[in-house]
Amino acid sequence: MDVTWYVVLSAVLFAIGAGGVLIRRSPLVILLCLELMLNAGNLALVAFSRAHGNEEGQVFALIVMVVAACEVVVGLGLIVAMFRRRLPLNVDEMRGLRG
Amino acid sequence: MSATTYGWLVLAFPLAGFLINAFGWRVLPGRAAGWIGTAAIGLAFLNAIGALVMVLDKPVAGRELTSTLWTYASAAGLDIKVNILVDPLSVFMILIVSGVSTLIHLYSVAYLDSDRGYARYFAYLNFFVFSMLLLVLAGNFVLLIVGWAFVGFASYALISFWYRRNTATKAGMKAFVINVIGDVGLVFAAFFIFRELGSFDYLTVFHAAPQHFATNQGVVIAICLLLLVGAFAKSAQLPLHTWLPDAMEGPTPVSALIHAATMVTAGVYLIGRTYPFFELAPTAADISAFIGLATLLFAATCALAVTDLKRIIAYSTISQIGYMVVGVSIGAYAAGFFHLMSHAFFKALLFMSAGSVISAMAGTQDIDRMGGLRRAMPFTAVVMTIGALALAGFPGTAGFFSKDEILAFAAHRGGFYWIFTVGGYIGALLTAFYAFRIIFRVFWGEPVAEASELEHGHLAHSEPENPMTGETEDTDVGFPGQEHHIAERDRPMWLAMAALAFLSIFGGVLQIPGLDDVIDKFLHGSFLDSTLYERFPSIAADWEGLAVGGTVALIGIAAAYRVYVARPGTSAALIRRFRAIHTFLVNRWYFDQLYDAVVYRPTIAVGRFANDVVERVVVQGIVVVVVDVVRGVGVVVRGAQSGFVRAYALLLIGGFAALGLYFLIVSS
Amino acid sequence: MTFHAPHIDYAGLSPVIALTAGICAVLVGGVFSARRQRLVVSVLSLTTVAVAAGLCIWQWGEREDLVAGALRLDELGLAGALIAILAAAVVIPLSWREPAAERPGSEPRHGEFQALLLSSVLGMVLLAQAQNLVVLFVSLELLSVPLYVLCGSAVRRTQSLESGLKYLIVGSLGSATLLYGLAFIYGGSGSTDFTTIRDAVGSGLTDDPLVLIGIALAATGLAFKISIAPFHQWTPDVYEGAPTPVTAFMAVATKAAAFCVFVRFFEVALGPAVDNWQPALAVLAAVSIVVGNIGALGQSSLKRLLGYSGVAQAGYMLVGIVCASALGVNALVFYLAAYTLMNLAAFAVIVVRERESGYGDGIKAFEGLGRDRPDLAWPLTIAMLALAGLPATAGFMGKLYLIEAAVDADYTWLGVAIAIGTMISLAYYLRVVAAVWMRPAAEPLAPEGAGMPAMAGGSPEADPLPSLAAATAAPRPGTRCLAILVPAWLMAGATIFFGVLPSPLVDWASHAGGALTPFLA
Repeated sequence: MDVTWYVVLSAVLFAIGAGGVLIRRSPLVILLCLELMLNAGNLALVAFSRAHGNEEGQVFALIVMVVAACEVVVGLGLIVAMFRRRLPLNVDEMRGLRG
Repeated sequence: MSATTYGWLVLAFPLAGFLINAFGWRVLPGRAAGWIGTAAIGLAFLNAIGALVMVLDKPVAGRELTSTLWTYASAAGLDIKVNILVDPLSVFMILIVSGVSTLIHLYSVAYLDSDRGYARYFAYLNFFVFSMLLLVLAGNFVLLIVGWAFVGFASYALISFWYRRNTATKAGMKAFVINVIGDVGLVFAAFFIFRELGSFDYLTVFHAAPQHFATNQGVVIAICLLLLVGAFAKSAQLPLHTWLPDAMEGPTPVSALIHAATMVTAGVYLIGRTYPFFELAPTAADISAFIGLATLLFAATCALAVTDLKRIIAYSTISQIGYMVVGVSIGAYAAGFFHLMSHAFFKALLFMSAGSVISAMAGTQDIDRMGGLRRAMPFTAVVMTIGALALAGFPGTAGFFSKDEILAFAAHRGGFYWIFTVGGYIGALLTAFYAFRIIFRVFWGEPVAEASELEHGHLAHSEPENPMTGETEDTDVGFPGQEHHIAERDRPMWLAMAALAFLSIFGGVLQIPGLDDVIDKFLHGSFLDSTLYERFPSIAADWEGLAVGGTVALIGIAAAYRVYVARPGTSAALIRRFRAIHTFLVNRWYFDQLYDAVVYRPTIAVGRFANDVVERVVVQGIVVVVVDVVRGVGVVVRGAQSGFVRAYALLLIGGFAALGLYFLIVSS
Repeated sequence: MTFHAPHIDYAGLSPVIALTAGICAVLVGGVFSARRQRLVVSVLSLTTVAVAAGLCIWQWGEREDLVAGALRLDELGLAGALIAILAAAVVIPLSWREPAAERPGSEPRHGEFQALLLSSVLGMVLLAQAQNLVVLFVSLELLSVPLYVLCGSAVRRTQSLESGLKYLIVGSLGSATLLYGLAFIYGGSGSTDFTTIRDAVGSGLTDDPLVLIGIALAATGLAFKISIAPFHQWTPDVYEGAPTPVTAFMAVATKAAAFCVFVRFFEVALGPAVDNWQPALAVLAAVSIVVGNIGALGQSSLKRLLGYSGVAQAGYMLVGIVCASALGVNALVFYLAAYTLMNLAAFAVIVVRERESGYGDGIKAFEGLGRDRPDLAWPLTIAMLALAGLPATAGFMGKLYLIEAAVDADYTWLGVAIAIGTMISLAYYLRVVAAVWMRPAAEPLAPEGAGMPAMAGGSPEADPLPSLAAATAAPRPGTRCLAILVPAWLMAGATIFFGVLPSPLVDWASHAGGALTPFLA
């Protein structure tokens, strides 16, 4: 089976993720979209790994999953900290730093 | 130790003194800062002697020693080293600089005693000496420029030392601006030298120059003229002299050290150091000599009419440096540097004596208000007279031998160079006259109130005021301290002046025609490739010159005696009779006004014109566009920095898209 | 079938091992030392970085592949590691009084704070040595994730949280982009190993769209980490919002490690495609120089100003990569070291001053510092002048080398861009220096001396004005904390030292650059 379809699918996923980061205001959803982008990368890695017939891409994909989990944990921690301080969970209202 | 090790130590001690005083001023008690500064320079002097002994140990042809401490930059064609050149010329200079500086530091220990900026003063002064020694010892043009700029800065800082005096800060600015003009000339000269010869290193450049350039080739003349811009700005030669009289706003020991004995002679040193270029460009050398002659005559006439004690001596300095410039420009290197040395002795002495006199007069500097001080301050009177005798070229003194040697060399060289001899003797006549005008006005005649008070043991005291403008001042930091110090009462001042008086009388024995020629022989090691160096006049011609010079000096002194002592009204009568000339001289040939009219006003007028006409078209067309572009980009940059994190993400993705697009276009 | 474990060179890995052990020790030490936690933890972390630095120096000069080629032990990697470790060694004492390390309740959390800092250092050490796409990505994340936490660690300050979340979102976006780019490069070349990729790209893949898109994506991700415009926008915001010691660490260490991997990735793995990426990076460098310098012009917060200045400086340093020559890499490493010294000096002063004056890190807080606190004014002045590239500072030599490298590589226009950028930058660096020396402090109450020319005025012997004396008498927290002052003086002194006597640092940088010589033209 041609690897192109997988790459196209991963590109679509990547674009959906990036679009989500751009249009959603909730940090939680933004985190989800970032996960989507990382997983688009994973899909591409696995597909290429299959096409080349070596396992490096699969190893890479497994490690990326771990890293993605770390990022989400930190992101959620920050969101919880903001929530506890009654800060609005809306990235458009985080404008204290600018200029 | 080798000569170069001594050379490094000569640099190290003043730097250490500077650092100690600069960082330890808070904890140094009493006069400690002054003694530390003096000790640092004294140690540098001892090491300079060490360097002298080591250099004398070598054969004449092998006395140019270099030492590199480290390589600053060596890549892609550049080769900048931190290296010094220890040769007879630089050893000669460091001996004078460190020796005279030691005495002036010693003098300052007492003179500045009550000033609130005591430690700051010595930090500046040590820094100056370090910079000056760096300038002299530098082994390449880059280090020379560093030293050159440093002494300019130190001079500025010391002129403006009493920073709450408006006149002092203005004078400092003026000196700085003119010195920067000189720096620019020197930098361009170094750039051209590097472009033509591919190196900044003295010895490399000097050895390559004769092969690379033809005599009077355009580029070598350009190099020399640029060097002269640097030299003349530092040495206050026409037309860049106007800063030096104003520089007298600084404390008097500063005038003695920087604006008489050392820094202002840096231009002479530069011409002597780069002699291979000047010998390849005789036209430039002749231009330099004629400017020197014009300066020496011009400044001598000004010194006749000015009444401010320190400014008279300042004009005298400009005039005497004119002699040195003539000397080194016509090839009388040894004579020029000999005069540099004796001038350092007697001019420092004159300034120190002037400082003592001004203290006795409670800060007054106008010689019209002085008189009859000789009984009140006998020591000052004696040593200042010695200084004046040396300045006038009285037979037997240091100035007598050194000045006449330049003029004898000029006469001997033939061609049109006799002009310098004649002009030099005219200048000598004026010099003798104004030198004794000071002595007779200050020490002879009826004692003024301050003098008679001092005879009764009471040092005059008055409300502190600016001697130039008469504005009242206080004695807090930024103004002179409240106490006055005279040589009769302060041992360090006495000691320094006595030492210099001795040197002013006997410094000439180093080089008496027919008897010995220590300086000629010693400096030869630095001028081995010179075609002019050994064209010494015969001993008989020397003595003929000395006889003329001695006569001229005696005539000048006698004339001064007649005008100021024998017939006290003569001066006023002369002023009435030649009012136009006097006004002309009092206004210093209207140079400041000339600059005002020729440079300043037209600049303002052009500026106004530009403001009215050009700005609407050109400035608004270009400058405003540039400013608008910067401002516009700024607005875009900061506008994009909106704080919206999603906007940041958009730009990131947009940037990636642009990059990706570029790569796709490249690939297809 | 027998299993052959790969050969592990423990000596080569020793800095990494030491840091890992140190992180565990700091965490455990933090848990078991309730009252004297700050002291115990600081000593432990300083020991860790000292040991790691010693091991790096011990390994200096070795050149070999570690862990089956995943890491490359050479001078370039060690240079990046040493810079990161130096930054940590300075930042640990700087965070001595960091309230971010104090929990809102009573229990301090220096242990966590410093363990996170050390984890980030570990990521940097690995990143600087990475020779494999997987290691590149993992170590980049190991570097970033603790920094997200540290940025947001001052949970009582909204700005800190905001900076943490912003950094996290934009940073993760950068990581995702990088990952996608790495996937494409893997897809094009069939390998994650740099040298294998180099061979593959060299044998006819230079125009492969897959690889080129991969390069674009990866360049975006890496440029994000080193704050190259237009991927720089997080920089000023995060620098301003994060606790100052963290900002200091981020500003220098991240940049050093990311630049090392940037060089290695582009010059080694993508070296054969140099003609494709060189012009693109050149444009990015120029854009950064313009955006950074112009953005810094009107800033009133010193941290923010240094953020924009960091963007401009990253642009200068990128020129070293664009050159694709040994001279360029040497210049880059030299500049990284110089940049570290000058920025740490500046940030140390901000750390002391931001809680003294009530103006935070605003430039107003530094007015009158020259008269009030010369011990702070000098390091700040030296840092500013060095960043502006004045002669006799390390910054001047660094710029000189970069310009030389640019001219040598026929990118003269980039050299000119550096020079113009430097001229613009004088406007804002000197503004800080002017505030330090020429303005009266806090209350503008100096009738005398105000009209004097600046250089002639400002005598230190002058009596302090009455209002100042009163202000000085009031107790101020953290005023004489030697743990912060000494690093500031050391960094400023080193800045001057290497400006006057650059050859040791130049030699060091050329060793680092020499590690890549086989791959460079």
